[in-house]
Amino acid sequence: MSITRRSVLKGGAAVTATAAAGFPHIFVKNLNQAWGAPAWVKEGEPIKVGVLFSQTGNLAVVENDSTNVVLYAIEEINKNGGVMGTPIEPVVVDAKSDIKVYSEKISELILRDRVVSVFGGYTSASRRAVMPIVFARDHLFYYPTCYEGRECMQNVICTGPLANQHSYDLIPFMVENFGPKVYLIGSNYIWPKESNKNAKVWLERVGGEVVGEDYVPLGGSEFTPIFNKVRQQEPDFIFSTVVGDSDIALHKQFKQEGFNVDTMPIAALTTGEIEIRAMGAEFGAGHFLSAPYFQTLDNPTNQKFVENYLGSKYGTGGVTHYNMEETYLSVYAWKYGLEKAIEQAGWDGVTPRLIRDVSGGIRIEDDISPEGLIWIDPDNFNAWLKPKIGQCQSDGQFKIVKAADEHVAPDPFSIYPERGVCKADGLHTEDGKVLKNVL
Amino acid sequence: MESQNIYHNKTAQWLSYLVVFVGLAFLPTFIDPFTLNQFSRYAVLAMLAVSVSLVWGFGGILSLGQGIAFGLAAYGMGMTMQMQFQDPESNPIPSFMLTNELSELPGLWVPFWNTEVGLLLALAVPTVFFVIFGALMFQARVAGAFVAIMTLAMLAAWYSMAYDMQPFTAGFNGISPPLPFDWLGVSFDPYSPITYWVALGLLAFVVLASKLVLQSKFGLIIQAIRDDAERVRFVGYNVAFYQVVIFAMSGFIAAIAGITWVMLTQYVSPVLLEVQFSIAMVIWAAVGGRLSLMGAMIGAFLVNGMQSYVGDAFQSTWLLIIGGLFILVVRFLPKGIAGLIETGLGYVPIGRRRSDSMSSNPARAAE
Amino acid sequence: MSVHDFWTPFALEPFLNALIVGLSIASIWLVAALGLTIIYGTMGVINMAHGEFIMLGAYSTYVLQSYLGFPFLLCLPAAFFIVAGFGWVIEKVLIRHLYQRPLDTLLATWGVSLVLIQGVRLVFGGEPQYVGVPTWLDSAMQIGFINLAWLRVFIIVVSGLMVLLTWWILFRTVTGVRIRAVMQNKEMAASFGINANQVYSITFAYGAGVAGVAGALFGAFKSLFPDMGSGYIVEAFLVVVVGGGQLIGSVFSAGLMGEMGSVFSYFTNDTFARFVLFTLIVVFLRFRPQGLISEAMTRR
Repeated sequence: MSITRRSVLKGGAAVTATAAAGFPHIFVKNLNQAWGAPAWVKEGEPIKVGVLFSQTGNLAVVENDSTNVVLYAIEEINKNGGVMGTPIEPVVVDAKSDIKVYSEKISELILRDRVVSVFGGYTSASRRAVMPIVFARDHLFYYPTCYEGRECMQNVICTGPLANQHSYDLIPFMVENFGPKVYLIGSNYIWPKESNKNAKVWLERVGGEVVGEDYVPLGGSEFTPIFNKVRQQEPDFIFSTVVGDSDIALHKQFKQEGFNVDTMPIAALTTGEIEIRAMGAEFGAGHFLSAPYFQTLDNPTNQKFVENYLGSKYGTGGVTHYNMEETYLSVYAWKYGLEKAIEQAGWDGVTPRLIRDVSGGIRIEDDISPEGLIWIDPDNFNAWLKPKIGQCQSDGQFKIVKAADEHVAPDPFSIYPERGVCKADGLHTEDGKVLKNVL
Repeated sequence: MESQNIYHNKTAQWLSYLVVFVGLAFLPTFIDPFTLNQFSRYAVLAMLAVSVSLVWGFGGILSLGQGIAFGLAAYGMGMTMQMQFQDPESNPIPSFMLTNELSELPGLWVPFWNTEVGLLLALAVPTVFFVIFGALMFQARVAGAFVAIMTLAMLAAWYSMAYDMQPFTAGFNGISPPLPFDWLGVSFDPYSPITYWVALGLLAFVVLASKLVLQSKFGLIIQAIRDDAERVRFVGYNVAFYQVVIFAMSGFIAAIAGITWVMLTQYVSPVLLEVQFSIAMVIWAAVGGRLSLMGAMIGAFLVNGMQSYVGDAFQSTWLLIIGGLFILVVRFLPKGIAGLIETGLGYVPIGRRRSDSMSSNPARAAE
Repeated sequence: MSVHDFWTPFALEPFLNALIVGLSIASIWLVAALGLTIIYGTMGVINMAHGEFIMLGAYSTYVLQSYLGFPFLLCLPAAFFIVAGFGWVIEKVLIRHLYQRPLDTLLATWGVSLVLIQGVRLVFGGEPQYVGVPTWLDSAMQIGFINLAWLRVFIIVVSGLMVLLTWWILFRTVTGVRIRAVMQNKEMAASFGINANQVYSITFAYGAGVAGVAGALFGAFKSLFPDMGSGYIVEAFLVVVVGGGQLIGSVFSAGLMGEMGSVFSYFTNDTFARFVLFTLIVVFLRFRPQGLISEAMTRR
């Protein structure tokens, strides 16, 4: 397997190669069809996919693992015969934790490298920044982590939990075990706000009550004013959607402010294995996390995954976590989609959009998926999965205290039923229209 | 004034601009759409570097808040493009608002139904803001590092506002209009040569207009203020007025850049208002040469080009390289690459005496 | 959104607590800005790498603690000397040559900050690290309705001590006399046999060292990562500029800004509080560009 990295030389080569095509092609809007462009995939010729994560900068802490696990999955697939005998070639680029670079690199992957699909992103901002070209070229983007939903796009497949799945079990569980009063703390952006809206819906069902709601600036590390209000309101638990280093500051200051984790724990959607490692297990112990995957999940596939991954050259981080596992699954979702597309239209007929269209209903069985069976919803192209609740132990690992009995459906507009229903061809509104690429 | 450096020759200067812009205009004939889009982006960033060169190199005002104008204009353009996508009858409200407790289009957004009004606002709001902000600072005779800090604080304030006003700005996720900008019957596909020419044309306009302004009497007074504001004030000029004008001009240029940027990327988010980005603009101008519009422009192309191409090869050391380069430039080459060229051309003998004194020490020219 | 959602209703006890929280936030701002005040107030150098000095202080604590097993309290003075060393070198190699060009020092130190961030990232990796604190700092003080983490009390005390120490050095020692002399008139001071260059080196190193102590303290309540310092730079500058570059001015401005920030964020939210604060500062500087305490008001 060769990993293509960008270099000056390659850029130069591309310039000369495309120069041959000459002037007028640029006026043609859809390059691919108009010029009888070469097939996206050819049997026996390495299949190019884009890997667009940050390897440098502050997002790299998480996204390095994403790059690694995509490469690991591709290596694994190639070892087992690739896609119907044809190997996969990842084109890895570095988005440098800069939103502006995401939008530059995605067009490089799509236009210059002609990858058939792209895996990328960890933040909603980066997802939205890459969308214009993905829409314009009818391409395919795999967004492999949790997000807020309420989008209905025809060129994206997502393998992480939506807001409606994420806290589905967590809120009832916390209310039942600790009491009805909850204080919501989040980072100040859209995903936490949407997650909190969902949480309020679940709270209402089980008779819970919001006693306070606060947001800190991204990267903010000062929680004393908020804890001052928390002390006044005396909630039974805290529901946290604080991300990144703020999350670490939250947990540290929680303990330093003298709060008791046994009587008022933090139930989080974000505090996974890496965050715990970064704050020190003593600050994480006792708190709760809802996620579809934990490193400690007790099944043979996961044990094999943890062992093989951490034993490979990619497993330098020392832990596996939910974001990583969701990214791993997205590569398999893509592989199955591509195989189905090839069966349907032959190698020459495969387009990124076709892969997406045939991906509805694709199942990743529990012999591959460490979190157990998941499948892609044929309408909104998010994943059906089973959220689980873990409690952090003093060794920094989680003990699973509850797993959903059945799969929870992804529903991007669960709390906005008036917006319509997301189907494969767009958002069907109440007045009978179909809106494409709603974001 | 016995220097015969061709660098200071006005005709030579205009000729070099002509060569560069005409050369760049032919770029679409031999590069692919992706690279073309990349060059369009560099052109926008070059406008920002020119705006920094204008206000800092010539005006002596170190503004770390160019991102304010850039970002505000970008939001204006993003809103305009988003409203082009919406339909007054069937789909009147951007999707993100419906999930932010807004059931009708907020008044702030209403003017953007009209593309011309939207464009006008995108240019006017940042410029007017710069006029007010500039008047606030320069009438109080704030100068030097204090201007830098105040612009920085203002930028930070706008940044936090942009992501906090989620119902209006879509917060950190940003606004991504799904379709290219459409105006006067032309769809400005970001990867088409037309869009590239628009970007390049605007860059040329910005550079040449700035050049003309700097060669005028107004430009000479501005440079005199940079060199010694007290003396100019003593002579009887209203220093604050001149400073406000040059500050607003640089804001206007940054606003043009902001509009063009969104046309190229179809995406606006608070990152455009980040402190690091605004300081990066200063870096481009400094590396290229703050005392030369062309130099600043080249600095932007060079640093960003290196970031795109060399950056990946030196992944983890890239910031070290750019930081180190910047230190070296500041320490040893305060006039940047343009200064190097100036020195280099100084060794080229030419026949006639220099007839004007453009950029090396314009204060003397003002005397 | 109703008014009630946005504004927290007033209640006395939490409001008093908010004032105490304000004091704690103020002490953090003060610690963050103290080094900058010294360097700016004395030398007129705008040191954009100040945040990275804070970061270096935090990382030195991390290294001393994790690799050499230093206790946390001992890490504070150690961080001072390590970062002071860095500052001393940077002054000798770079800042020294730019005294004639104050705006350029601003830019050059920005370059230094990029290099330091990436250097640390190369050595320690980008992932967050953490610093452990003694258990007695890991709980909260509770007196009546007043609640404050011991760590915050500790930071308030340390920041107070550092201000006192700096004041003592400036106004009660021979070095201080020299520093103040150079501050007022470098040439005149030199003609009296004061080695101005040496004074600058010492001042810069001292300011850097104080930033290092700040970093060692901050590591205790948040995580360490290479660009943790960039979050402090704007706030720290505002404290210094509002304070007029004077030691006492910074104490007042940090106090004022901390309290205002805390009270605003008690009534509304954190982000909005920041916006109001920054805007107020810009307006304040319009009417009083010399800051709260101008040079004329302090003893010379």
